[in-house]
Parts: sequence; C-alpha cells; structure tokens
Amino acid sequence: MLINNEFNEQKIQSPLQYIWSIFKSKNITVIAMWAVFFLIIVSIFADSILPYSHTLQHPEMRLLPPYWVDGASVNHILGTDDLGRDTLSRLLKGMQLTLLGALLITFSISILGLIIGATASLMKGVKASIMHHFLDALLTIPTLLTAIILIILFGVSYENSLLAVSLSLLPQFIRGIYICIENELNKQHVIALRLDGATNLRLLRYGIFPNIIEPLTTLLNRVFTMAILEITTLGFLGFGANSEQVELGYLISKSLELVYLSPYLALFPGIAIFLIIIVFNIFSEGIRHSVIEGEE
Amino acid sequence: MVNFLLRRVYLLCITALILTVIAFSLEHWTVHTQIEGNILTHYLDYLVSIGQGDFGLSITNNEPIFRTGLVAFASTLELCLFAFLIASVIGIPLGVFAGLERNNGLDYTIMSIALIGLALPVFWVAIIFTVLPNAIGWMMPIDGNISPLFEVPVVTGFLFIDSLLVTEQYQFDAFINHMAHIILPSSVLAIFLISEIIRLTRHAITMVMKSNYIKAALTKGLTRRQIVFRHVLKNALPPIIYQLRLQISTIISFSMAIEIVFSYQGAGMWLFASIQQEDYLVLPSAILIISGFILIKSILIDLLLVIISPIKRKSLYADQ
Repeated sequence: MLINNEFNEQKIQSPLQYIWSIFKSKNITVIAMWAVFFLIIVSIFADSILPYSHTLQHPEMRLLPPYWVDGASVNHILGTDDLGRDTLSRLLKGMQLTLLGALLITFSISILGLIIGATASLMKGVKASIMHHFLDALLTIPTLLTAIILIILFGVSYENSLLAVSLSLLPQFIRGIYICIENELNKQHVIALRLDGATNLRLLRYGIFPNIIEPLTTLLNRVFTMAILEITTLGFLGFGANSEQVELGYLISKSLELVYLSPYLALFPGIAIFLIIIVFNIFSEGIRHSVIEGEE
Repeated sequence: MVNFLLRRVYLLCITALILTVIAFSLEHWTVHTQIEGNILTHYLDYLVSIGQGDFGLSITNNEPIFRTGLVAFASTLELCLFAFLIASVIGIPLGVFAGLERNNGLDYTIMSIALIGLALPVFWVAIIFTVLPNAIGWMMPIDGNISPLFEVPVVTGFLFIDSLLVTEQYQFDAFINHMAHIILPSSVLAIFLISEIIRLTRHAITMVMKSNYIKAALTKGLTRRQIVFRHVLKNALPPIIYQLRLQISTIISFSMAIEIVFSYQGAGMWLFASIQQEDYLVLPSAILIISGFILIKSILIDLLLVIISPIKRKSLYADQ
C-alpha cells in the first residue's frame, strides 16, 4: 500500500484555511489587520504607555503646538491644550474610551441581535407580526434622536451613552439579521435539513450561519462605524463623557472655542476617529472579499 | 396596484399607532404627569389632541410646540434636499464611471474617495469647514440660516420659498443671503452623501452589467454607449432609490449634528436648545414629526418604485 506523505498537493484545505490564504494574499488587508491589532493593543494598555496623566496640568506650557512647529517643546510631542494638558495623553485616553466602547457595543449588539433576529425569523404567526410592526416603528426614528432620548431618560454619563447608543443601533441590526436568515431559509439545503428532522438550533448552526458570514461582516462593520460616530457625536454634544473621562468627541467639543488659537487641538481627535474607522473598514472589507472568493 | 396601496396604508396606520404609544409613554415618563383614572382614556385624549395638531405649549416661550417643530424641521429638510441635489450631481456620474470601469485605476481612485468620505466624522468636518473660509480668505457666513438684517415672515417654513415671497421688499438679496448660508452646511452633508451614492451606484451598475439582457444587447451589436444609456441606467435606478430610502434616517441624524455646529436653526438645533432648557415636552413631538415624515416619505418612495419597476409590487412588508 502506498502512502503519499511526501507530496502534500492532494491535501485539501479547510474552508477557513482557504479564506485565510486569500486574505493574506492582499497587502492592504494584511496591513489593515495589523493596524487593527495595534490600535486595540494600544487602547487596552493606554494607561501604562501614557507619557503624562491625561488630567495633569502644566501651567507654564499652555497651548503648545506639535513638535514640528516653531516654539514647541519636545516633552509634549503633539503639544498641549489651554490648561497645559498633554495632547498625546488625552488622545490616547480618548481613543481607549471610544474604541473599546465601540467594540463593546458591537460585541453585545451582535450577540443580542443574533439571538433576537434568529428567534424572530424562526417564529411564525402573531408573535412575528407584532415584532415586525414594533421594529418598523422603531426604525423610523433616527438613531441620534433615539440615543439622545435614552440619554435623557438614563442621565448623562459615559456608561449611559454606551447603553443608549447600543439600544439605538439594535433595531437596525435585528432587521438586517432577520432579512439575511429569511433569504437563507427558502434555499434547498435548509429545506433538506428540515426534512431530515433537524431542530432549530442545528438548522441555525449548520444550515444558516456558515452561509451568512458575508452579510454579517457588512452588518457588523456598519454597526461598529455607526457606534463610533454616535459615541463621538454624543460626546461632542455634551451628552456623553464628563471632564474626567475624555472621549474623542468630547475633546473636539472642548477644542471648538480654541480653534482659531490652536487648530491642532481640533485636528488630531478628528484624524484619530477617521483612522480608526478607515482601518476597521478596510479590514472588514478584506474579510468580506475573501469570504466571497472562498465560497465561489 | 390598489391592493398594494391598501396594504401600505394599513401598515402605515399600525406603525403610526405604535409611534404614538411610544411618544405617549415618553411624555408621561419625562414630564412626570400624574395619571388619574384610566390610562386608556388618557391615551385616547392624547390621540385626539394630536389629531388636532395640539402638541402642548413650550415651557420656555409659551409657543405651540407643533408649529415651532414643523418650521425647524422644514429647514432641516431644506438642508438635506440641497445637499442631496449637490451629491447626486457629483455622485451619480462618479458611481457610473466606477461601475463601468470595475477593478481599474479609475475605479480604485473613486472608491478610495468614497471610503474616505464615509469614514470622516461629520461634526468634525463641519468644524473644519467653519475654519476653512477664514483660512482661505473667502467671505462666507458660518452661522444661522439667514442674516438677521432680513425680516422674512414664516409662510411655508421653507426659507427658499419664503425669501422669494418678499422680493418686492428686498429684491433677491434675502434669497441669495440664504443661499450663501446654506452652502457650507450642505456641502458637509454632501461629502457623506456623495460617498454613499457612489457606493450604491457602483454596486447597482455592476449588478446590472452582469445580467443576461446586457449580454443579449452586446450580441445584438449595440455599442457600449448605447447599452449604457438605453439599458443600464434605467435598470440601475430602482435599487439605488430603494437603498437611499433606508438611509434617510441616518441622513437626518447627521444633518442634526451639522446644524448644531453651524447653529443653523433646524430640528437639531431646536432639540438641542430645548433639552438644554429642560423643555422635555419637545422629545415626543420631535419623534412624531420626524418619524411621521419618514413614514409618509417611505410610502411615496414605494409608490414611485412601483411605478418604475413592477417587480416590487409583490413585497408585503415595508422593510425600513
């Protein structure tokens, strides 16, 4: 009997390995992946790599520009604000609150939304139609308005702003999941599984979830982007973080009155938000493409 | 067709009823009204007063909330429509080019622009735009919707129309002044809208280009230009309109944030100012006005879609 271990051409890759091999063949997505890891690690360990405390004031060095402009100090690489607080420290601290908050929101929404969306799509009759009408009504209210109303009901704080944003984004996600699963349910392999007598849980695990990875990545990416934008918008409007918890939108709102004196203060938090969103977008777009190509 | 219309109106009624329930409970929660007697009769009273357009009086200036809210929301709508006009003039041709030249240098450039536009936080772009005229040296107004020099009476709530109605007093000065005020906020909103429209158009165009009737047209010997103008554009339009319909509440959210930066007197500024004065009665009215608009608009867009594409007639649920 001949055992062919020398040549591994005949070895069939698992779907995940195949998707990974497609994913790593593109430079830009791999760079985006490392950037995502870098951002997450920096924001988790932000407290230990801060050059100064984010509330420490240096009264003798106020409104310093970043180090490449004349009249700057090397001790404060990105300059200081009107009370002499280090911009880089505040930026890192703000990134920690915004990015980790958005990731937390995305995670909790994905779990809650998957459970509710899956039950809703497998339900029939009165319960499903009540759910549908309720979602229809909730989806007509703009998310920012929902978030502001919830914030006023709960009271203004950073934690409550996270809660309000996640509740305001939940209906969209449930509806998205619902449509994905509904499209999948009419396909032949799901009907075959049903005829075999599969329970609902097994149907979801083996029949549906492997096939909705691609729309799911798009949905999660959308939720993450909207979460970042809404947390920062709430912080900007003064409904989110307070002066202890500096958050990127709050930083922008505080720099608004200083924008003619030191435009850098408004510039850097915006660029940080922009970088976070674009890096995560490219990463998820890469995953989506490799999943599509892997399925074909 | 009549069947479809009846079904949509029925769905609208149910959704509107649920919305009034939400607004009613919100009003009880925030204003802390003491409930005496049956809550159902209270709700019925509330429905009747809403039906008469009576949303209560503002506690700060004793004016009817409904009228103030409608006027504020009309200027938000004006901002959105103006931005939408700019965005479709720029976005649709770019999206068509990107879709036709897929995976090309041009396509990548256009898509990178679209990606950047989607990733920029709108309120930050708004701040940059308030500083920009000063930095370049232009004279551009950056606050309010119209200069306080002009006394424009509120007739329709849309300042473009109202400022045209006072032409014998100010000639076209009020109109031009309002135009100058609206350009900066609407171009901020247009940056977001352009990227969205480019993405949607490109997707729709590629979907249409894959279909069999395009191959048939190619084998018939039509030139590329003829195919694009005769078949592609017409068939790519319904999915774009359909997807944009789902984005309207996001667009209104963004425009509310932009208004606050530019202190443009729209729905966002109205809500923000009222909340800061603890006038919480505006919240249920804002829900009813904005969601009511979105509901009516979604029915109108549905009708438009049904008229231009017969496939949509079978869909049962109004999938917002």
